[in-house]
Amino acid sequence: MSQTTSTDRIPGLEERTRRGPVLRKGVGVSPSGWFDPRGRTIGSWAFAANRITGLGLVFYLYLHLGVLTMLLVGESMWNDFVELATNTVFLLLDVLLIFGILFHGLNGVRVALVGTGIVPDRQKALFWAFTVIGTLLLVYAAIHVLGGE
Amino acid sequence: MDVAPTRPVPAKRRPIPGGKSVRVWRWTVITGVALLVLLVVHMIAHHFVVDEVGGLRTFQQVLEYISSPLIFTVECFFLITVTTHALMGLRAVLFDLGFGSRTRRRIDGALWVLGIVTVAYGFFLVGTLASRA
Repeated sequence: MSQTTSTDRIPGLEERTRRGPVLRKGVGVSPSGWFDPRGRTIGSWAFAANRITGLGLVFYLYLHLGVLTMLLVGESMWNDFVELATNTVFLLLDVLLIFGILFHGLNGVRVALVGTGIVPDRQKALFWAFTVIGTLLLVYAAIHVLGGE
Repeated sequence: MDVAPTRPVPAKRRPIPGGKSVRVWRWTVITGVALLVLLVVHMIAHHFVVDEVGGLRTFQQVLEYISSPLIFTVECFFLITVTTHALMGLRAVLFDLGFGSRTRRRIDGALWVLGIVTVAYGFFLVGTLASRA
């Protein structure tokens, strides 16, 4: 008799059962599963991308604080950095940073609107609307950042 | 000797269904909404109104900018909000790795320390720069 129950659909359940009862206490997809493209919906792609951009932005926060420390050292060090930071590679990294901020911010608004129950059943529509808004803002920002070259 | 029956101590905080993680998620949303405003102000005021390539100010321009009381206050709020939001997001990612309760408590403690150190260093940084203007 093969009967499908709700527990059959819990990811990694079989592996956890094989390894023992309390070896893995968390539920859900493991971090390596974020990069697994098989059978993904838009929502789970957005979840993975939100976490990856979030981790990137946490890294950037500390990098930014480190860079600003150069201001404490003195004027010449800051001016040397500004000269370095205005080459094409750095400016492209700035555009990548702006992409991360826009994606994480707009997707965060979507998640907050759905999660707080303000707009509970329009996930996909919100995703595509914010994708259009984000793309337009990214193009504007990229032109602004790279345009002075 | 009769001992008066003890009454249950009233909870200081109103309990929220779902516990601490739900409270943290709510604060992540609140700080996220605040960041929408503060980050836009930071990006525009810091980088998008500057004529130089890459939107980076010169040393003297940075000192003049941060010495404005309004900008100084906004930057301090921005620092607290962005650090709180970042570390609560990091907490959510770490907790999804499936650690036990003791490790979770340690992660909470470590993130508190990291957050306090980050904000303290940020205040020191902007305070020192503002005083040099």
